[in-house]
Amino acid sequence: MSIVSAFMKGVTRLNEYVGRCIALIVFPMFVFLILEVALRYFFNSPSVWTNELTQLLFGVYAVMSGGYIMAHRGHVNVDLLHSTLKLRAQGFVDIFTSILFFIFMLALVWFSFDMASESFESRETSFSAWNPPIWPAKGAIFVASVLMLLQGIVRLLEDIAIAFNLSYYDPAERKSHSEEGEA
Amino acid sequence: MSIEVMTLLFFGSLLFFLLLGLPLAFVLGGVSVVFLYFTWGFDSFYMVVSQIWGTMESFTLVAIPLFVFMAMILERTGVARDLYRMMYLWFGGLRGGLAIGTLGICAVFAAMVGISGAAVVAMGAIALPSMLSRGYDKQMALGVINTGGGWGVLIPPSILMILYALITGVSVGKMFAAGVMPGIMLMVLTTLYIVVRCALQPDLAPALPKDDRASWPEKFRALRSVLLPISVVGMVLGSIMGGLTTPTEAAAMGVLGALISAAVYGEFKWSVLNEAAIRTLKLTGLTMWILFSAHAFSSAYQSMGAQALIESIMAMIPGGAWGTIIAMMVIIFFLGMVLDPVGIMMITLPVFIPIITALGFDPIWFGILFVINMEIGYKTPPFGFNLFYLKGVVPPSVTMNDIYKSIIPFVLVEIVGIILIMIFPEIATWLPELLF
Repeated sequence: MSIVSAFMKGVTRLNEYVGRCIALIVFPMFVFLILEVALRYFFNSPSVWTNELTQLLFGVYAVMSGGYIMAHRGHVNVDLLHSTLKLRAQGFVDIFTSILFFIFMLALVWFSFDMASESFESRETSFSAWNPPIWPAKGAIFVASVLMLLQGIVRLLEDIAIAFNLSYYDPAERKSHSEEGEA
Repeated sequence: MSIEVMTLLFFGSLLFFLLLGLPLAFVLGGVSVVFLYFTWGFDSFYMVVSQIWGTMESFTLVAIPLFVFMAMILERTGVARDLYRMMYLWFGGLRGGLAIGTLGICAVFAAMVGISGAAVVAMGAIALPSMLSRGYDKQMALGVINTGGGWGVLIPPSILMILYALITGVSVGKMFAAGVMPGIMLMVLTTLYIVVRCALQPDLAPALPKDDRASWPEKFRALRSVLLPISVVGMVLGSIMGGLTTPTEAAAMGVLGALISAAVYGEFKWSVLNEAAIRTLKLTGLTMWILFSAHAFSSAYQSMGAQALIESIMAMIPGGAWGTIIAMMVIIFFLGMVLDPVGIMMITLPVFIPIITALGFDPIWFGILFVINMEIGYKTPPFGFNLFYLKGVVPPSVTMNDIYKSIIPFVLVEIVGIILIMIFPEIATWLPELLF
């Protein structure tokens, strides 16, 4: 069982780390946008690359957030019924609903791989004035789906442990991890 | 299988998995994958991924993390505390004055940030204890914070308006302009409610005793606190409405303003910024993931041929064009109780908007009605974000039940507001027509 809990800790730590790095992308996005405004009004020379680069960064930022948010159980759900159940019952319900999650994620992993590899093989660019390669951004969808799939497996293992009272995971940890959903 | 049966199964399974507690983003994504498989087969999943890519490519959406980041920084600075002090000195002597002043601060906050949570958290932490210790009625104090906090999405800038503009194709600038007057109107209506209620029941919100009131020099010195927020508002709204920048760039200007405020208040520290960045990632990310899968959901539904069905159902609603609008409002209101605004938008707008335009209504006007309705959704149980934010910051003596009960009169006031905008569309459409 120690391999299982090591796997769970490892994946969660990986997503935590990736999330903390990805979160910093908001700074360059801010800087590039301000730079563009400054170039346009003070130097009268709008650039071709700032907006497009910001947008590519944003795409990566948005899609890569998924695993981190999952690790923090931050994706919004309706806990109207769920919260009235006992912990073990919650575990069973979560195991059941995870089927839908895995269907979605497997479809994403599979087809985002297709999309990314096509894009990489043709060294796809955006065909704009600046014309940067866009395969890294498409590749981010694949990486993000894999990270989410892994975190989803961790979550399923947690739910199984809770539902069947297995010893490799302590449900008390979940309490400390769950956080506010915001919007 | 006929489209009617498919629709029932489609929304039925959506509701089923939602109630079982699976996060909205995965319910939408999973359900659309399953239904795409049965209508178009395995290869149609490519559409799900290409929808995600399409969403990542939208420049308008870049505004979301920036507006959120701005709000997160401003929430941490002393801006809210100083504003509250100023308003306390000026309005404390009036009956219900602190409640009205709190509404005012919420409106200023709403004009700085584009989300609804920031003002609720800030005012729940600052204004609520202060009002309670001055003998204000619990429910009056809670209701004011809840309702004022919700204005963040109505008074521009607003992330919901950006999303609305993106889905419906109207201009973001026009949507922002259209929100100004309705926001002011709601503030006036709510203030009237407080004034009347306090006149009838003076013990709900007593005026401060004479000795506690401020002198004039003190009052004027406190006015300095509005300078910073007003200039941040000017930077953001001025650049959009003056046509200087795109809304996305204006959001970056807002971040600049927030950073300057942070520096003024001595909060320009790595720990503050890093924490704000992480909270921004969470909030933006969960919105974006709902958006990703909701895009897949609505295109899956449309590829099943839903458009015709919905149009025929809408045609069956009695009362003609207005009957349709009211039916839509009622649907959105109830969805607002259980679903989050981004999800509601993605599910209903692709269906509603063609009908709205076919009936000859202005999509901008409808957008304002929609946003006010969403804002009510933020504070109606069981699934109103603001309720949970507020619960997170209030003292333990305030129960969830108190919070639930406090919103009832304020929701009624906002419904009156929606009705007024329906009767007098000019409240929403006048300013955008003047500016653009």
